[in-house]
Amino acid sequence: MIDARDVTKRFGEGASAVTALERVSLHVPEGSFFTLLGPSGCGKTTLLRLIAGFELPSEGEIALDGEVIGHLPPNKRPVNTVFQNYALFPHMSVARNIGFGLEMLNRPKAEISATVEEMLDLVQLGAFAARRVDQLSGGQQQRVALARALAPRPKVLLLDEPLSALDLKLRKGMQGELKRLQAETGITFVFVTHDQGEALAMSDQIAVMSAGAIQQVGTPEEIYTTPQSRFVADFIGDTNIVPAELLGYEGDKARIRFAGGQAVLANAASATLAPGAVHVAIRPETITVCDAADEAALLHGTVLDSSYFGAGSQMRIRLRGGTEVQAQVAQPSPTGCEVGLIPDTSMLQVLVD
Amino acid sequence: MGQGVEHTLSAAESLRQAAAARSSAQRRRRLFLLLPAVTIIGIFGLAPLSIALLYSFLEPGTYGGVEWVFSTDAYVQFLFERDIFDDSLIFNSAYLQIFARSFGLALFTMCGTLLLGFPVAYFIAARPPEQRNFWLFAITLPFWTNLLIRTYSMLLIVRDEGFLNLTLMKLGVISEPIEMLYTDGAVLVGLVYSFLPFMILPIYASLEKFDFSLLEAGHDLYASRAQVFRHIVIPISRPGIVGGCALVLIPSLGAYITPELLGGGKKLMIGNLIAMQFGSGRNWPFGSAAALILMALVLVAMMISLRAGAEKESRHG
Repeated sequence: MIDARDVTKRFGEGASAVTALERVSLHVPEGSFFTLLGPSGCGKTTLLRLIAGFELPSEGEIALDGEVIGHLPPNKRPVNTVFQNYALFPHMSVARNIGFGLEMLNRPKAEISATVEEMLDLVQLGAFAARRVDQLSGGQQQRVALARALAPRPKVLLLDEPLSALDLKLRKGMQGELKRLQAETGITFVFVTHDQGEALAMSDQIAVMSAGAIQQVGTPEEIYTTPQSRFVADFIGDTNIVPAELLGYEGDKARIRFAGGQAVLANAASATLAPGAVHVAIRPETITVCDAADEAALLHGTVLDSSYFGAGSQMRIRLRGGTEVQAQVAQPSPTGCEVGLIPDTSMLQVLVD
Repeated sequence: MGQGVEHTLSAAESLRQAAAARSSAQRRRRLFLLLPAVTIIGIFGLAPLSIALLYSFLEPGTYGGVEWVFSTDAYVQFLFERDIFDDSLIFNSAYLQIFARSFGLALFTMCGTLLLGFPVAYFIAARPPEQRNFWLFAITLPFWTNLLIRTYSMLLIVRDEGFLNLTLMKLGVISEPIEMLYTDGAVLVGLVYSFLPFMILPIYASLEKFDFSLLEAGHDLYASRAQVFRHIVIPISRPGIVGGCALVLIPSLGAYITPELLGGGKKLMIGNLIAMQFGSGRNWPFGSAAALILMALVLVAMMISLRAGAEKESRHG
């Protein structure tokens, strides 16, 4: 569907030039809900604007269905955008906003009004066709922006942090709404967000970005359970990042040892790291807490505190090396108690720094 | 019990009275606050207009001023000439031509300022906010100098041995000076120059809050650059365009100094015609009548354009 090949984008000239994207390659499958996730300034919005045509790549090319589109102006691309601030036309009614794209494509009037009707139904705003857009609430404006971008039936819909202006409750509702719209229309969605929860909940695939480069692409589950780099593990949530020693590779597994423990096999994305100090990601829900004297314990530490969260308790433990980790358990050990930790080795992930 | 009811009634009555007193006091205060504005409009707006209306129906005095005799001659004179022998009325289009020429020139001035002013206003509105004040300052800077002086400088630039002709001759573009001064073109340039800020400022005001992401939204929805301009930029800046056009058209209809200096007074404009009646012409009633006819024509033109604007608005909804 969308293929970006070695796309670099620089702003400015000469010495003051800022590189927003550095040789980014990406494949977005047809009909998928694809998310670009990263902190602000990571280049995700720049990548979206390159696909939309608001910016032209400094190097590299972007293709849609095998056809290179990187040089085309936005009005020549079968791609529409939902803007962060919606950018609805304030001097037009809701219906005319939605029909604007088709009007510019010179579609017959009957077709335009039929499509507008259909879109109004799709976003459940049937009663608002004649309203002025400034008479709508934020959530309603959001739906108009969606309907307006979907009305010309683009091959790709780009969404630039569309939910960030909504309050929490509305945002949760719109997440479901967006998933439904994507499934109903079958249009490929490229969604930009800095909210990892949003990305995990909605996406078929996520590309995690940082510093103008793509760190990892995968399904939400892959990104969550097998983060490949320290950045991804850190960004995707409350995972523990613990120092360890890499002894070597055995097949596609890595042999590692935590300080004072025995060697175990952990998952590794690729056998590229030299033996020595590495970081390993351990999910809090994969840790079993045992007696300090237990031979199976790979890590040792002191319980700092624990808090009850309903389905269990969250314990904070300071390891002997000084690193703090969290573990989710059914029965927390008392504060100050020495404990041993047994992580599920099938869920251990060696990280690239 | 009965006493209680009476008591309640009188209490309600006194409350009502108090409220009435309060509202009438409020009304008095409001009128009092309006007084300065009403006084100024009355003295400087309505009174001169009433005097002009009154004078236009009197007879001219021999040495200026008016004779207090009712007459509609001033209005008749606008369209007709009195035959010196038999006193019959003959149609005379001389004054109509002056009006037509003035309207034509004012329309050209309006179009000229719009064509030059819109891009400037758009440019300023597209600057980052901290840079805009500088540009607005630059636009209003000429106002610090008297219009007369600015018009004289213009005269120095466009005359036969002026800056423009000398430069062109030195560059070898022309061998003889082009006669620019005392032409309609010179008057037009002078008017466009003096009224340009009146076009730029209202359009800038309507574009100041313009959300430039709307351009991207339009462009994204298959509109070409020209279509984005036509369907998004123009409609949103329409109030500024209409305001700017009115602010340029109306005063340039009555412009006096510019046609006098740059046009050499060779061809009369309304402003010069009216000024003449109060000076060498010594025909105050006719001057007043010409001024009122001009005002009536402007009012009619404005009402038509306002109605057209309102219809357009309601059609688009």
